[in-house]
This record gives sequence, C-alpha cells and structure tokens, in this order.
Amino acid sequence: MAAVTAPPTRTSPVSVRPLRRRPSVGRVAAWVVMAAIVLVTLLPFYWILRTALSSNTALAAHPGDPLPVDFTTGGFERALGLQSTKEAIAQGGAAGGLKFWRYLINSVVVSTLITVCQIFCSAMAAYAFARLRWRGRDKVFGLFLAGLMVPTIFTLLPNFVLIKQLGLIDNLLGIALPTMFMTPFAVFFLRQFFMNVPREVEEAALLDGAGKVRIFFRVMLPMASTPILTLGVLTYITSWNDYFWPLMVSYSDSSRVLTVALAIFRAQTPQTGYDWSGLMAATLIAALPMLLLFGVFARRIVSTISFTGVK
Amino acid sequence: MTIASSSPPSRLPVGGAEGARTTPRTRAAKAREGGGDGRLAAVFLAPALLGFLVFLLWPTLRGIYLSFTRFNLLTPAQWVGLDNYDRMVHDPIFWDSLRVTVVYVVINIGVQTVSALAIAVLLQRLTQSAVLRGIVLTPYLMSNVVAGIVWLWVLDTQLGIGNEIIAGLGFDRIPFLNDETWAIPTIALINVWRHVGYTALLLFAGLQAIPNDMYEAAKVDGASEWRMFWRITLPLLRPVLAVVLIMTVIGSFQVFDTVAVATNGGPANATNVLQFYIYGSAFGRFQFGYASAMSVALLVVLSAITVLQYRITRAGQTDLG
Amino acid sequence: MRIRTVVALTGALTLSLVSGCAQGGAAGSGAGSVTYWLWDANQLPAYQACAQGFERENPGLDVKITQMGWADYWTKLTASFIAGTQPDVFTDHIQKFGQFADLDVLEPLDDLGIDDSAYQAGLGANWIGQDGHRYGAPKDWDTVALFYNKKLTEAAGLTADRLNSLSWNPKGGGTFEKAIAHLTVDRDGRRGDEPGFDKNHVKVYGLATGGAGDSDGQTTWSPFTASAGWNYTDKARWGDSYAYDSKTFQSVIDWYFGLAKKGYLAPYTDYTDGANPANAQVASGRAATAFDGAWMISTYYGTKGLDVGTAVTPTGPSGKRATMMNGLADSVTKNARNKEGAKKWVKYLASDECQKTVGGYGIVFPATPDGTAAAVAAYRKKGIDVSAFTEPVTDKRHARTFSFPVTDYAADVYALMRPAMQDVFANGAPVSGLTKTNDQINFILGQ
Repeated sequence: MAAVTAPPTRTSPVSVRPLRRRPSVGRVAAWVVMAAIVLVTLLPFYWILRTALSSNTALAAHPGDPLPVDFTTGGFERALGLQSTKEAIAQGGAAGGLKFWRYLINSVVVSTLITVCQIFCSAMAAYAFARLRWRGRDKVFGLFLAGLMVPTIFTLLPNFVLIKQLGLIDNLLGIALPTMFMTPFAVFFLRQFFMNVPREVEEAALLDGAGKVRIFFRVMLPMASTPILTLGVLTYITSWNDYFWPLMVSYSDSSRVLTVALAIFRAQTPQTGYDWSGLMAATLIAALPMLLLFGVFARRIVSTISFTGVK
Repeated sequence: MTIASSSPPSRLPVGGAEGARTTPRTRAAKAREGGGDGRLAAVFLAPALLGFLVFLLWPTLRGIYLSFTRFNLLTPAQWVGLDNYDRMVHDPIFWDSLRVTVVYVVINIGVQTVSALAIAVLLQRLTQSAVLRGIVLTPYLMSNVVAGIVWLWVLDTQLGIGNEIIAGLGFDRIPFLNDETWAIPTIALINVWRHVGYTALLLFAGLQAIPNDMYEAAKVDGASEWRMFWRITLPLLRPVLAVVLIMTVIGSFQVFDTVAVATNGGPANATNVLQFYIYGSAFGRFQFGYASAMSVALLVVLSAITVLQYRITRAGQTDLG
Repeated sequence: MRIRTVVALTGALTLSLVSGCAQGGAAGSGAGSVTYWLWDANQLPAYQACAQGFERENPGLDVKITQMGWADYWTKLTASFIAGTQPDVFTDHIQKFGQFADLDVLEPLDDLGIDDSAYQAGLGANWIGQDGHRYGAPKDWDTVALFYNKKLTEAAGLTADRLNSLSWNPKGGGTFEKAIAHLTVDRDGRRGDEPGFDKNHVKVYGLATGGAGDSDGQTTWSPFTASAGWNYTDKARWGDSYAYDSKTFQSVIDWYFGLAKKGYLAPYTDYTDGANPANAQVASGRAATAFDGAWMISTYYGTKGLDVGTAVTPTGPSGKRATMMNGLADSVTKNARNKEGAKKWVKYLASDECQKTVGGYGIVFPATPDGTAAAVAAYRKKGIDVSAFTEPVTDKRHARTFSFPVTDYAADVYALMRPAMQDVFANGAPVSGLTKTNDQINFILGQ
C-alpha cells in the first residue's frame, strides 16, 4: 500500500483517508477552528460591502446594523466619479470621484510591466546562478540575497531623485522601473527551482546539441511555468497594491494608479472624517481586479505552490 | 502604502532549505563543463544586475553616506561626521520606538507563525480543499492601507461593529486603537489577519514535501495526530519554517502603513514604530541625515537578526534525508 | 560621480527603448498654463469657476488645478520641490509656512500690491516672513464654534440664547461646565449634575472629544486657553519660545481634560481620527455638543436626522470669548515654470471678484469682507445661520481671535506636543510634564 505513494500532491487522497475513518472529538474541534478562521477572514469583507451600500450620513447613527443602513448605491457612484460634486456633498461624501477606467488601465500597465520584466530578468539571473559556472558566482548571489534586508525607506529617496534625473516623473515607466529588473526574492525563488531540476534533463538536451541559451528558453522556462505563474501572480498583487512609490512618482491622471487614487479619495475632505461608504465602495472596486485575477488563478496557485516546496 | 510592506514581505520563500548555498558539486563535474560560462552568465545576469546596482545597492550606499550628513532634501548635504549617530544614541524617542517595534515584531511574528502553522496543518491533515486555501489567502489581496482602513472602521470604540458585538455581549467596549496597551497588539493582529493565509500557504507547501508514508507508519504504531505533529511535522518542516521566519521578521520590522493609517503613532507614541519615526523625521521634519542614520541602524538590526536566526535554526540544513 | 554617469547612460538607454511615453511632461505645463494645487475636494468647483473667470480675463493663460488629499498633499509637495515638478501656485497652510520659507522655496509676492486692510483683520500679516517679505496672498478663513444637537439641548432646557452666553473659568467651570454637565446623561437617564450620576456609564456626553489637540488645540482646548489670556508664543509671529510651561496654560488643560474624568467630555478612546471625529460623535447621538470649525458646517447640517444649531465659544476669565481664526493663503513657488502667470493667478485669487465667486458656493469664508458676505448669504440661502462663526471676527469688544502659532520648526513642535498632549488626555499624565516638553521645544527653537 505504501508502495503506491505517489509524490504527495494536494489532491492526494492518501493522507485524507485514514483520518476520515473516525470523526473524533478532535476532528470536530478542528473543523470548528477552521470555521472560525474562515469567519474571521471573510467577515471584514462583508462589512466593507455593507458599509459601501449604506448612506454615509446615516452610518454613525446605526453602527451595529448588520444590513446596509439607508441602502444606496451612492457610495459606488461617488467612487466611480458618476456623481456630481453637489450630490456628493449633499450625501456627506467626498466630491472628486475616481476616474476609474483611467486608473485601472494605469494599474494594469504598471503591474504587467513589472511582473513580466521582473520575472523574465530574474529568471535569467536565477539560471545564471543555478546552472552556469562562473567566478564569484556565490559571492554575487550572497550580495543579491543581502538586498532582502535593505529597508524600503532607504531606497525611496535616491530612487526618486534618479527617476527625476531620467525624466520619468509622472510616467508609468518611472513607477515600474525600480522593480522591473529584479527583486532579490524573485531571483532566490527561481534559482531554488532551477537547482531542483534534475541535471539529467539539461544534459540530455546538451547531448542533442542544444546550447545553454536554447536550453534556458526551451527546457528550463517551460519546466518552470508553474512556479513562474505563482511568482507572477504574487508579484502582480504586490505591485498592484504598492502605494507609496507610485504616490511619489505620479502627478496627474496620466500616471495615477488605483491605490493612489484610493488614498486621495480617502483624504479628500480632510477634517470631516472619512466618506466611509464611498471609501469602502472604492476599496471594493480597487480590489475587484485582484479578486478576479485571483479567482481565475487561485486553484493553480494554491496547488502549485506546493510543487515548488522544499526538495 | 508600501513604503515597507509590513509582515511577511511580498517575497515568497518557498524555494527553501538550501538558502544561499549552492548544490554541492564535485571538481569532476566542474571539469567536465570546462572553463565555465562567464560570458553567457554575464549576458544572463546583466539586466538583473543592472537593476540591483542602480535601484538597490547604490541607494543603500547613498543612504549610508547621507547618514553622516545634515541634509534637508532641498539644499546640498553637509558632512557632519558622527553627529547623527551621536544624536540617535541619546534620543529617547528612538530607543522607545525601537522597543515598540520589537514588541510589535514579537507579537506579530509569534501569533502569525503559530496560527499559520495551525492553518497549514489543518489544511493538510483535515481537509485538502483548494477553496479553503483560496479563502485564507484573500486578505492578502488587499493592500496594507486598505486593511488598515477596514480594521480602523471595524474596531472603532464607538462605531465599529467589533465593539458593537462586544457591547452587545454585555462586555465593556475595548479601545483597540486608542489605548496604549491595546494599540500595538491590535496593529500586530491586523497584520496577522492580512498575512497569515499567505504564510500558512508557504508552510503548507513545506508540509506537502513531507512523505506521506511517514504519517502512515506512525499511524500504524498508534500515534495520535498531536504526537505526529511534534514528532514528524515540526522537525521536518523546520528548514522551511526557518526561511519563512527570516523573511517575515524582516518584513515585520518595517511595519509602517498600518500604523500610519490606524493610529498615526499614537496614543502618546505607543505605536511610534521605528519606520514611522524614520518617515516622520525624513518627510515631516526634513531631517534626512538623521533619518538615514536610523535607517542604517535598522539595517544593522535586520542583518544581525537574520544571521542569528540563520544560525539558530540551522536554516541551511534539512532533516529530510 | 562615476556611478552617476553609468546610471545616466543606462537610463538614457532605457529611455530610448521606451521613447515616446517618456516625454509625458511632468506637470504638463505648457507656455501659457499655470499649475495650481489644493487639497479640499469640496472647494474644487468653486476654484474651477474662479479659473474660468481668470482665463476670460487673461486670454492665452489657462489654469490646471490638481486636487490632492490633505494626508498626501505635503509629502507630495516636498517631493515635488526635490524633483522640480512643483506646482506654480499652491494652497498654503500657516503651520507649514515657516518650514517652506526656511527651505527657501517660496517666491516673494511683495510686488502684487496685497493690501492687508482689504482682508479680514490679521489674515494678511501672517504671511509676512521673518525677512519682511510677503509669501502668501490671503485666501479664506475659518473660526471655531459650538455645534449642538437641538433635540438634546431643548430636552435639557437650554435655549439658543443661553448657549450663546455661556462663560467658564478653570476653578468651578462656570455656566459652561454646568451646561455640558446637564447635557450629559448616564445609562439610567440621570443627568451629569444630578445626584447618583454614574460617570463610568455615560450614554450621552455633554461635549464630544476632538482628541488631545496636538500643539494647537484648534477645536479642543484653544478656545479656553485663549480666553484665559494665554498665548502660544512670546510674540504674535515668529516668536522665539513657546509657553506650554505657563501656569495658566497648564491649569486650563488640567480643567479641560478633567471634564472627561467627570464624565462630561467624551474620553480619548471615543475619538478616532477619520473614523469617529467629533461630528460623528454628535451624529451618533453619543455627544450633545462639539467644538468644531467652520469648514464642518455643511457636514453637520447635512447629517441625516440631526437638527443642529451653533453657538459662540464661552466667555473666559479674560472677559472675552476666543476662537482661533485661521486663514489659508496661496503661495507661488520659487522655481515656478510660469512665474508671471502664477503671480497673475494669485493676484486674481486674492481679488474680490474671485473671492465673491468662491463665497457664492457657501463652503468657506473668503478672506475679503465682500467674499465673506457672499458666503454668509449663500449659507443663509441653505437655511444655515453662521453668525456664531462671523460674530467673533466683527465683535472685537466681546471676542478675541488668534492665529495658529507662526514659528520656525512647527513640525518639530507638533511632533513633540502631539504625544505629550495625548499622554495627558489618554493616559492621565500630569500637566506639569508639559514643562519638560516645552523646554525641549524651546531648545530646538533656540538652535
């Protein structure tokens, strides 16, 4: 029976079966814990929705109502910039809405640029670190890894000045550039995968007369498609959610991304307190693309993430 | 607001155990490949190296240089030697913010690691549902700023649903973000909420690599789940756990966004974490030299902790044959 | 330097690869355009209207307005000075003025011919730097008054006249303390001035909290410290030392936050910047009254189900009532791309014509008397009586207005006072501790 042990993948029923036989107290308790975890994880999301569909001027009076207070889609209208300023102010909301589509496109452009370039460049470097022989390789790799420890605030200002010198202020490329070539983590992650690819695969290709460049593109990259997808989606989420750097670089609608737009929306009426329903609606709208992306890839990510596990 | 992504950095340490090490290889293998692939390596490495030098190494060196200067951002930096470091050592607010940060990291990492481990084990031993795995990851889709805002709303003493429930149950309302004892644990837990699913997934990946027959064999010997956890899961997960810990601790030390959104460092500096203090000095008070000096201190702390952790947890070794 | 060259080269390379989008034009200012920044979205339409008027008068010039939230406005402005992407004109706040003047990023506006007497008293003078030059043109002003929930005040038998003639003192609290005590109700329905009042279980607080007030106490303690005769600094402007160590100041603070200990003032824990500010406490029925600024008028009056009134601040030991009168201004940046156009725009912004236009929107009080009158009329049309805000400005006999402290190192003062005041309010630290904070502040100022 143990002989059948396939490489343990997430769907492997083997690990589940023995447990199923006896629904013990412990198991019930474990399910209760799991349910609690799911509840804590998801409840805030419900609360976002409930607040987004409430009327802002009535929220304070009914803090505990489980359903939307004085139901309205005004929050969403404000967030999408569909409401006139007058209406917005009358509803106790922030006036300048989001130019949603513009910011969405900007976010998509920046995140795509970063993700594609960063992963491609990191993969090449990772391959050089994992499978090419050259002098000083481990030292350079060590240096790359040390880059993990550099506090973000350190690089903020010099990079800003640099982007300015390059004339890329208020430009989507300026937002993408600093993380477009690599992150220490991406290199580390992919190197780890390449090192685990059996050497025989590579040697077989070498015997067929393929060069190392060809091997990288034809053998290694396709083999790494699953970890690359995983890394890609995570990189995408990270760059999508990045806030401070785009804030520094962006000056106008032409380069404003969703996170920045959201923050500006948040602080629009400085001393009056937040436009909660508008803000929560905007939050949902800004997160929606990520939720969709995640919905499409979730199965693959959560299952392939194990694929790259420690060997 | 990712001036510093708090809690686990957006970097996924799955690859794992060997860390910085390379595969041990024999001289013979090296010889077989001939003189090496220097030129090819240069081409492959060029873009990443460019990015590394320009956007990571150079800013770091510049930051270190600035820590020896007086610099208000707009006029040229003036060399002041060790003045900033001298001031830092004598600045009680700096030391207090370091203390606050450490408290935050301990709570954040402690709770996060334990719950992530629990979730990972539940996801492995209880159910293999991919849907559940997806659900625990959803908070990670929100940015830190959004997570901060949402919890600020949920936990407000008077208007938050959290306190409405507490009051409804007949307890006294808890000033989660307005009280000096509650504020830091609350911030730490908010960040646990956002990151725990992600961390759990990484640990889950590690768990998947543990051969199932080990559990089967233990089962035959009549071992309980609890016992198997301590005897099999934990020891074999250790290398992954170590890498995950190093990564999350580095991220945790740089907590900023949540504080900026939820408490602004208050009440009375109770949540004035180091990165927040650095940020205020740099962009609020234009003392960039001093802010750089504190950043260098943070860099030193992070390096020291990483090395220490690496040593203690023997992250480079694996128990898995 | 070496590294720089390499960087510039590689940068140029990248640039040429992705050419086209690189020329996006930082602030997008052409020859005839003026860039202008402001932070309040609600004022945007009013200034857009102004811009139209300006463009009509100055063919060939057009104004590009960028609105950005307060929280990011200043960071962004700083970054823009570094990057050379600063706006030509921006809305300036008196607390930031010293810092920007110090950094030498503002353009003197002496040649605009701004006449202080054309504006409400004190608004013009604040924007004269230590070097004697003018760096800002008066834009608008705001004062503080007491907002109250009419339903609750009527239930407590407090008429509008009563609320408008309250007085206080740091010893017994005066009629003001009596009023808010009477407005306070515990969960058993007992009022704050009745026997058996349970201060630990208050259902409605007499007065909402606006937090600890940082270094200025604009809508918290400043109406009291000022009506007790206290001043922030040794001089009206550009003082050399702060006076947070004064006995008067500390005794007023002690009394004011002491109201929370008595159960009349909502405790610090009730206040969250953003989530539960004073107006939300009033809106939720958790507090009966709140000190708040004129910029909040539409918010209070727009709250559903809330019948709200306003009253002037109480008269203090000095025999006068007091309110902060804060004025914003428009400043031109030193390296403005279109300096000439910028100055023209500022001059127009400061003109009666533009200010009357802005006033017509009924959102802020413009700095010129005519502009103010336009705003008062606009509010009246909405059915809002704003005399509690305007009276202190005109009635010098019974009221005193004062400004934010104008000194160097305002950001450091804020950074030190904010936690110190929170320590007093939230943690019950003794007010005498403020003396030490004051020493630190004055040490920095003396540098």
